[in-house]
Amino acid sequence: MTLWQLPAGSSATIAALDEKLDSRYRQRIRELGFSVGATVRCILQPGLGAPRQYAINNSVYSLDRQVADAIVCKAQP
Amino acid sequence: MKQVALIGSPNSGKSLLFNRITGLNQKVANFPGITVDMASGHSQSHADWRFIDFPGVYSLTALSGEEQAAIAGFTTLLERGELDLVVAIVDATRLDKGLGFALQALSLCQRHNVPMLIAANMIDVLERHNLTLDCDGLGGALAVPVIPLSARSGSGLDLLNSAVEKLLETGQPPAQASVADLIGGDEQGHWRAQQLAEQYGPKGDLLVVSQTRIDSWFLHSWFGGALFFAIMYLFFQSIFTWAAPAMDAVESAIGWLAERVTPLFPEGLAQDFVHDALFGGIGAFLVFVPQIFVLTVVVGILEDSGYLARAAVICHRPLRFFGLTGKSFIPMLSGVACAIPGIYAARTIESPLRRRLTYMAIPLMPCSARLPVYALLIAAFIPAQSALGGLFGWQGLAMFGIYLFGIVTALMVTALVSRSDSQANQDLPFVLEMPPYRLPSWRPLLRGAWERSALFVTKAGQIIFIVTVIIWLLGYFPNYGSSLADSWLGQIGRFIEPVFAPIGLDWQYGVALITSFLAREVFVGTLGALYGIAAQGDEFVGLADRVAASGLSLGSGVALLILFAIALQCVSTLAVLRRESGSWNLPIKLFIAYGLLAYALAWLAFQMTTLFSG
Repeated sequence: MTLWQLPAGSSATIAALDEKLDSRYRQRIRELGFSVGATVRCILQPGLGAPRQYAINNSVYSLDRQVADAIVCKAQP
Repeated sequence: MKQVALIGSPNSGKSLLFNRITGLNQKVANFPGITVDMASGHSQSHADWRFIDFPGVYSLTALSGEEQAAIAGFTTLLERGELDLVVAIVDATRLDKGLGFALQALSLCQRHNVPMLIAANMIDVLERHNLTLDCDGLGGALAVPVIPLSARSGSGLDLLNSAVEKLLETGQPPAQASVADLIGGDEQGHWRAQQLAEQYGPKGDLLVVSQTRIDSWFLHSWFGGALFFAIMYLFFQSIFTWAAPAMDAVESAIGWLAERVTPLFPEGLAQDFVHDALFGGIGAFLVFVPQIFVLTVVVGILEDSGYLARAAVICHRPLRFFGLTGKSFIPMLSGVACAIPGIYAARTIESPLRRRLTYMAIPLMPCSARLPVYALLIAAFIPAQSALGGLFGWQGLAMFGIYLFGIVTALMVTALVSRSDSQANQDLPFVLEMPPYRLPSWRPLLRGAWERSALFVTKAGQIIFIVTVIIWLLGYFPNYGSSLADSWLGQIGRFIEPVFAPIGLDWQYGVALITSFLAREVFVGTLGALYGIAAQGDEFVGLADRVAASGLSLGSGVALLILFAIALQCVSTLAVLRRESGSWNLPIKLFIAYGLLAYALAWLAFQMTTLFSG
């Protein structure tokens, strides 16, 4: 599944970063903590296609569909 | 002289710490990327320490314009041996984020034998939530001093000064065995940063939980949108309705002063000059200073609270339709205060195409220089009736309408331009750090508003003074003010009158419009001087009353509002656009295109208003 598909309140482990996302942006989201093996939690899904909120440790980031769809993850039980 | 660099990730509080140390007033706000240029200043406690505040970066790999400038500036100073110490500021509440870059900086400092220390900022927030940071443990693991402090409250600054003093005296570089040991083989160091944060940083996700609770309201699908519009409406109302009592007070004070000072001068030329040029011209524009102050305070509250980042999220999808990104929102809102900081703020937009489109939108945002003109024309045409104890009023609503017109025009322009570009649907990824909510810091907020108002008076005031004096001289001679129409200015005005006649403006408004191409607010000063000469000998009357009595039709008033909403009459904006876009191409094209569009729409509005109002 991709991060965009992760339901609000659920956590997942990042499995891969899709190469369809420009390398500069892949680099940036890695720097923010979205690297393979990291645990990420979807904390809010505003409607109408607005960017969604994801927490990595104590930081919260807003990612739009283009970016969140490029992050492949595995849902945690 | 010892040089100390302040570096760190965006929104870690570098500029606030810089202001604490130097006593300067570098702009601070609660969203990432507010500092886009380097600033320097001397320490208040040690005059021989010079601190340099760099824009925030997430790593040594640049993605946006301000990051490139920061990294290039920092590495150049290190390579030239011009830095004696590096202070890396990390946000103690989100340690992993700041430590990633701090580790990269540490490896650079090692390579260049420059000492470094880490300032763990926002320690007061941790204390408030009963959370702790193990500074000794972290310092021991990195072999650099880690100083807990709060740039907001000033606590821990003594500790920082002592640590800086010690390191500057010893010049001792970081004592790490090797960079590889330090960052665990990961060249970016972010994985290692996460481990260190888990080991020594605050435990639990208490801060995220409290932030999410508020976000669930502000980012709610429907409630969040309604709240956004309510906040924006109050924002525009505040500029007019809330500033009105102070504006009335300034106008009365100028009138009071004019009645007492003017008779002190000998009758004739000197008295006419003081009455018409000084009190009529300069006084007319001073009336609008309270509005600039209120506008800056309200923008500051939005910036400080952390709401702007939420507004960017709410706006992202709608702005995409117009070819922009949610990140365009912050530069565009800054443009409401002044286009220049707005254009600088657009550096944070990584995509060159979106940045260019944002540059095109900013000059159409209703900046504070337009405010005096809007306020003057609205006061002349719209009744000053209000409701709910003065909280809402027709004039405020009219101000909201003309502001909305500028914003809608900006969006239309970017939508049209982006649709003509084949690359427009690509290159749109949106990643934004959500800052925590904070209560605004009133002291820097009010100080910033005061300085912005003072800048308005001194900078715009200089131009307005010179233009007003020239206009007054041209209008007063050769017949010593007996007939404005037969003066030199009258002759020039009649020469240019055919240009403005199609929108119902006489030569006096034509002259005021021409002078406003230096800076928009000059329009008010010029009209003030012109009406001062025309009404020679009369007692001091507010400029809005004089405009209302001048016979200016409603159609021409609307045409004037539209002209000012669209035309790019600001020399400083053109110069900054040239600097940021790298050539004169964009500013010249915008100047011509917006000028023609403004004239065409003003003509259309004049014709339609005249038709419907009979």
